[in-house]
Amino acid sequence: MTVLSHAEVEAFIYREGLILDRKDFDAWLAMYTPECLFWMPAWRDDGTQTEDPDAELSLIFYRGRRNLEDRVQRIRSGFSVASAVMPRVSHMIGGVLSEVVDDDTVKADSSFIVSMHDVRTNRTHSYFGRYEHVLSRTDDGWKISQKIIRLMNDVVPTMLDVYGV
Amino acid sequence: MTKQFALRDLVDDRPADGVFRVNRALFRDRELFDLEMKHVFEGGWVFIGLATQAENPNDFFTSFIGRVPIIVSRNGQGELRCLVNVCPHKGVRLVQKLCGNASRHVCPYHGWMFDSAGVNRNIKWKKGGCYSPAFDEDSHDLAEVARFGEYQGLLFASLNPDVPSLEEHLGEAAKLLDLVADKAPNGLELVPGRVTFTYAANWKMQLENCSDQYHFTSTHPSYIRILEERAKEQSVEVVQSSIGAADFWTEGAAGVTGGTMSFDHGHVLNWGIMPVSNAIADFERAEELAEKFGEAKRNWMFNMRNLTIFPNMQIAENASSQLRVIRPIGPDLTEMQTWCIAPRGESAEARRFRIRQYEDFFNPTGMATPDDTVCYEEAQMGMAEQERPGLQGHDRGMTATVEGGNEYAAMIDLKPARRVLAVAQLCDESLFASYYRAWAQRMKEVLA
Repeated sequence: MTVLSHAEVEAFIYREGLILDRKDFDAWLAMYTPECLFWMPAWRDDGTQTEDPDAELSLIFYRGRRNLEDRVQRIRSGFSVASAVMPRVSHMIGGVLSEVVDDDTVKADSSFIVSMHDVRTNRTHSYFGRYEHVLSRTDDGWKISQKIIRLMNDVVPTMLDVYGV
Repeated sequence: MTKQFALRDLVDDRPADGVFRVNRALFRDRELFDLEMKHVFEGGWVFIGLATQAENPNDFFTSFIGRVPIIVSRNGQGELRCLVNVCPHKGVRLVQKLCGNASRHVCPYHGWMFDSAGVNRNIKWKKGGCYSPAFDEDSHDLAEVARFGEYQGLLFASLNPDVPSLEEHLGEAAKLLDLVADKAPNGLELVPGRVTFTYAANWKMQLENCSDQYHFTSTHPSYIRILEERAKEQSVEVVQSSIGAADFWTEGAAGVTGGTMSFDHGHVLNWGIMPVSNAIADFERAEELAEKFGEAKRNWMFNMRNLTIFPNMQIAENASSQLRVIRPIGPDLTEMQTWCIAPRGESAEARRFRIRQYEDFFNPTGMATPDDTVCYEEAQMGMAEQERPGLQGHDRGMTATVEGGNEYAAMIDLKPARRVLAVAQLCDESLFASYYRAWAQRMKEVLA
C-alpha cells in the first residue's frame, strides 16, 4: 500500500470542510478514529497558546470520538436553542503542507477561514486560524487521528460549535 | 443635570404589594447605559482581578474599570497599586499588553517614562521644552485610582473616592468569598487560558442568569441529556459531571434543595445542595478541609454556589469553578472575560478533571453557555417592546423571601439581608431585587 500523495492529503482535508459545510455529521464522525484527539487550545494572557491541555484551559479538548458524537447529538437534539436555527458555514482551506511521517501516518498543516452566517440574527462572522491534522491508516481506510485547531480570532461572538471551525 | 429618568418608572419596588417590576428600558436605553457606566461601573467598587495575576516585583496586568483603562502593577518593593493606564501627556493608553513584567513603562507616543509605581521618571527633552512653571506644579505621575483593596487575594477598586470601605461593600458576602479562598490553602490562581466572548445583549442578562435557577432545565435540556447518558455509561473517554451527581435542580427532588441569599450592596447567592463526592475536583481535600474548618463549612464548600459580587464579578461553583468578569460595551453588547479559578497546588489529576468539567459547560465553544447567550440575545430583541415595559421575571419566591438567615446560613455564621429556602421547583427570582436596589443606590443622583 502506498502512503497518501500530497494531492490526496489536500483532498482529504478539503472534504472535511465540505462535509461540515453540508452538516453531514455522520460522514464527519466517520472521518475520525475512535481514539482521536480533537483540540482547540485557548490563548494565554501573554499572547501565546496553551500547550498542556491537562494543566491549562482549551476552548475544546476531546480525546475520543465519543465526545464528538455528544456534540453532534446536542446539535441534532432539538433541545439546544443555539442549534435550533443553524448558522450557514463555508470552509475555505488552503496552504496545505503535508509531510509523510511513516507508511501509516501523514501530517498536514493548513490555514482556514470559516465564514459563518448566523441566520437567527442576520450577522456574518469569520473564524480563521490554522489546522494541524494527523491522518492515520486504519483497517477502514485513512482517518483523522488528530486535529488541532489554532483559532486566531478567539473572542467568540455569542457561540462557536464544531462545525464553525 | 436634568433628571430625565424617574426611578419609580424604572424599578417599581413595592414589597408590601408583592410587586417588583423592572422596566425594559434598563436593558436597551443608550442614555441610561451611559449613566450606569459612569455611576455604577465608574462610581463604585468593581472587581479587577487576582493578586496572583501580578505576583512578583514589577509584574503587571491591565484591565478596565468601566470604560477607563487601568494597570495593576507591583512596584520594585512588591507593593501593589492600581493606576489609570493613561499617559497624562496626550491621554494615550500607556501599556497595551494584558500582562508582563517591567520596571519601566514608556509611552509609545512621545516617550514619557514611568516606573512600576506609576511615578514619572522622564519627560522627553524636558529641559528644552520651554514649559511654564505651572506645568512643573502639576503631577506628571500616573493617576492612582481613588480606592483599591484586596480581600483574600481578590482585588477591587473604585474610581470614585466617596464609597464605603471595601470591607463594608463586601459585608457578609465576604464569607462566601472565604468559601472559595479557604478551599485553597495555597491560594487561588487562574488556570492559564483566558476565554473571552461577547453577546449582543445587555450586561444585566448575564448578571441575572448566574443567579437564575429557573432556566437550567429549560435552557440546557440538550446538555442535561448528555450528562445523564454519560453518568450511565461511566466511560473513561467522557468527563463525569458534578451536576449529574446532584439533584437540587431536578423537578422531583425531595426536601430542601438549596435556595438564595441576598446581601446589601447588590451581592447575591444562588445555592444548591451537592454531595461531598468524587464528582467534584476538590474531593481530594475533603477530609483535610473538614478537619480544618469543620464539617459544616466543608460541606458548604462543596455545595453548588453561584455568587455575584455586584456589579461585575461572578464565581460559579457548579459544573466546575469559574470566575467571570462582566464588561459592558454598549446597551446591547457585553464582553465576558472568563477563567477557570482553582486552588494552587492541587494534584495534577484534580486539575485535569476540573479543566475537563469546565470546558464542556462554561466555554462559548462548549455545550451549555451558547444556549444561555442565545437566550440573552433573544431577550434583547424583546426589550424593544415598550407598550408593556414591566418584565414579569422577578416574581418567583415573592411570598417565600424573608429577612435574615436560616439554619443553613448559620452553619457558616452567615447573616444575609434576605433568604429563600428552596424546595424543588421554587427557583427564587426575588433575589434579583438586590441587584436593582444596588443599581438604584448607585444611580440615585441621576434618577428623579
